[in-house]
Amino acid sequence: MRLLHKAVAQALCLTLGLALCNGVYAKDEAARLAALNQRVKAIADETAQVEAITKIQRLGRAFGYYTDKGYFGEAADLFTEEGTFQWGVDGVYKGKARIRELLTRHGGGSMKEAPGLPFGRLNLRMQLQPMVTVAADGKSAQARWREWGLLGQYRKAAIWGDAIVEDRYVNDGGVWKISARAYYLNFEAPYQGGWAKLQPASGDWASEVAKAFPPDAPAPQQYQPFPAVFIPPYHYADGNLRAIQSRPAVDAPKRADDALGKLEALADAKELALARAHSVRAIENLQAMYGYYIDKGQWKKAASLFGKQGSYEFGQSGVYIGNSSIERGLSLMGPAGLESGQLNNYVMVQPIIHVAPDNRTAKARWRSDVQLSRGGAGRWGGGVYENEYINDNGTWKYSKLHYYVTFWGDYDAGWAAKPIPMDPPSTTNPPDAPPTLVYESFPKLQVVPYHYLNPVSGKPNTVE
Amino acid sequence: MQSLTRLRGHLLQGALALIGSVLFTAVVHAAAPSAADLQAVEKQLNSLGDRITRLQDLTDVEIVQNAYGYYVDKGQWRSLSELFSEDATLEIGGKGVFTGRPRVFQYMVEAFGLGGPKTGSLIDHQQFQCLPTIHEDGVTAEARCIAFVMSSGGWGHNYYEDDFIKKDGVWQFKKLHGPFNMYSGYKLGWFDQVIVNTFPEKFPPWPDLPPTIIYLTYPSYYVEPYHYPNPVTGKGMPAPSPRAGGEAFGR
Repeated sequence: MRLLHKAVAQALCLTLGLALCNGVYAKDEAARLAALNQRVKAIADETAQVEAITKIQRLGRAFGYYTDKGYFGEAADLFTEEGTFQWGVDGVYKGKARIRELLTRHGGGSMKEAPGLPFGRLNLRMQLQPMVTVAADGKSAQARWREWGLLGQYRKAAIWGDAIVEDRYVNDGGVWKISARAYYLNFEAPYQGGWAKLQPASGDWASEVAKAFPPDAPAPQQYQPFPAVFIPPYHYADGNLRAIQSRPAVDAPKRADDALGKLEALADAKELALARAHSVRAIENLQAMYGYYIDKGQWKKAASLFGKQGSYEFGQSGVYIGNSSIERGLSLMGPAGLESGQLNNYVMVQPIIHVAPDNRTAKARWRSDVQLSRGGAGRWGGGVYENEYINDNGTWKYSKLHYYVTFWGDYDAGWAAKPIPMDPPSTTNPPDAPPTLVYESFPKLQVVPYHYLNPVSGKPNTVE
Repeated sequence: MQSLTRLRGHLLQGALALIGSVLFTAVVHAAAPSAADLQAVEKQLNSLGDRITRLQDLTDVEIVQNAYGYYVDKGQWRSLSELFSEDATLEIGGKGVFTGRPRVFQYMVEAFGLGGPKTGSLIDHQQFQCLPTIHEDGVTAEARCIAFVMSSGGWGHNYYEDDFIKKDGVWQFKKLHGPFNMYSGYKLGWFDQVIVNTFPEKFPPWPDLPPTIIYLTYPSYYVEPYHYPNPVTGKGMPAPSPRAGGEAFGR
C-alpha cells in the first residue's frame, strides 16, 4: 500500500514537475526516519540485555576466583549493601559484612589476617554452567550456577563439594550486583569413598559454621542433601524462556538506493550481528538448562528442548529421533526423577559456539564431566558434545545432540586403573538408528570430529 | 469540442485539487530528514555496532582458549601452536618462557611426546570459568581461566592469565601464562599426594627465558594477580596478607 502510494505520488510529481511534491517525499521519509529511530532504540536495549548476560557471567566467575584464594571481602563486595546469602538449610545472612564472615568461616580464612588462606587450606569453588535470565526492563536478572568444590586441609581432609546456586541481581546505575544468593548445597563428600558412600542426613544437618555463627533469618525452605534427590527451585519454572531466546531469523530486506535506504541497510546489518551475539548466549543458556534437567532425571523437560525432528545420540547407544523417542533414550540413564542415591551430574563446560551467518542454525562443541552414583557405586565420566541447533522463531532448540564418551571410570579405583566400557544399544528400549560413529572409549582415545577449522589459522585440525 | 473543454476543466480541477492536497501534506507533515538527522542515526548505529563487536570479541577470545584445551586433550600440537601469534610467548608451571610459535610447538612435542592421542594416556585439559576482558582499543584482551585436568596420573588445577591480540580481525594468543595451583595423584587426591611445581631444568626443552615468577603450588599459597578490578567496586586487588597464607616467593 505504501509502495503504491509512493509510486502514484512519484508519477504525478513527474507529470506535474512541481517542487511542492517534495512534501510527499517528506511525509514518507519522516516516517522512515521515525521507524529507523525506533529500531536504533530496540538495538540499544537488546545490546544492553546481552551485555548484562556477559556482566553477570563475569560476576559469578569473579566470585569463584576470589573465594578460591581467600579474597572473601572482595567476594562480598560483589553483593549490594543489603545483599543476602542463603547457605543451604542453615539460613540467610544479610549484608556485606555478614556475607564476608560467612565465606571466611566456610573457606577457612581469617577475618584479621586477610586476604589469603593458611598453609594447606584448599577452597576451590569452581563456578560453572551459568543460565542467565535478564528481565525485560533490564533492571534485574536471575541466574542458576553450579559450584564444583575441591575443598580440604592438607593431610587432614580432602572433600568434594557440589551445590546449585540461584542468584538475583540488580542493575545499579549500569553496575550489576548480586542482591540475593541462594546456595543449595547438595553434598560435601570425603574424597575417600566419594559421594556414592554418603548416608542420608538425619535430622538437622545444619553446618558447624551455622552453629557457631548463626544466620540472620531461617532458610525459607528445608530439604535433604544427597543421597536424597532435591531439585533446587528453577527461576524459570514459570515457563519464562527469555534465556534461550534471541531474534527470529529474517531474510535481509531490499532497501531503497537512497540515503535513508543505506541507513536502513546498516541497521539490518547491526541487527543481524546483534542477533548472532545474542544467540551465542541463548545457546549457552540452553546447554546449561539441558544439563540441569539431566542432573535430576527430568527427561520430559530435557526432551522438550529439541526441535520436532531433533536427534539425540549418546556414546554407542544409537540415535533417538523426535521428542518422545528422545525421552525414551534419555530414560536409559534411570527412572524419571531418579531414585534416592542416584547422582547424575553432567557438568556443561568449555563451549565453542558458532552461529550461522544468517542466524538460523548453530553448532557447538561442549565438554561434560560426569559424576554418577548407582547402587552405592560411584563413577566418573568425561566426554565431548558436538551439537547442532535451530532458531525456532526466536527460541533456540537442539536439532542434534551428540555426546561422544571419552571415558567412564570406577570412582574408587579411578579411570586409569578401572576404565568402564560404553553400553551397547539397548535391546529393551532400542534406538531409532544405530550409532553414527563406531568407536571405543578409554583406554582407547579418538579425536572427536570438530565442527570448525582452526579458529586462528583457518587450517584443518591435524593430529601432528 | 465541448467535451474537450469539459475534460480540460476536469483536468484543471484535478490538478488544483492535487496541488492543494500536496500543499496540505507538505504543511501538516514533517519536512524531509535533514543531513544532521541522518548523521545522528548513523553515529548511533556505528557506536552500537562497536558494542556488538565487543560482545562477539568476548566469545571469540573464549573460543581460542577453549580450542586450546581440546587440542591438548588429544596432543594436537600443530593445531595448538597455530592458535598463537608469530611472536607469542608461552609459560606453563615453573618451566620458563618460550618465545615464538615454533617454540610453542617444540615445547609441546618435547614435553608431552609426538602428537596424536595415545592409547591409555588421558590428559584432558578442561577449560573452566573463563573471564575475558576486551580492552578499550578493541584489539587486545586478557582472560583468566582454569584448567581442570583429569589425567591418567590424577588431578590438576591451574590458572591462566592470558593475553590475546586481534590481528587482521582474528583473535589469537599473545601470551599464555599458566601458573600451576594444585596437582595430585588419584588414590588419595589432594589429601597428601600433591606434586610440586615444575622448574626449568626438570625436563627438556630448555626455555628461552627464565620463569617470570617463582612460586609454590598447593599446599602452599600463591595467588596469580587478577587482571581486572573488582567488577562492582572497581578497586584493584589488595596484596594477600603474608600471615594469612604466606605470600608467594618472588613477586
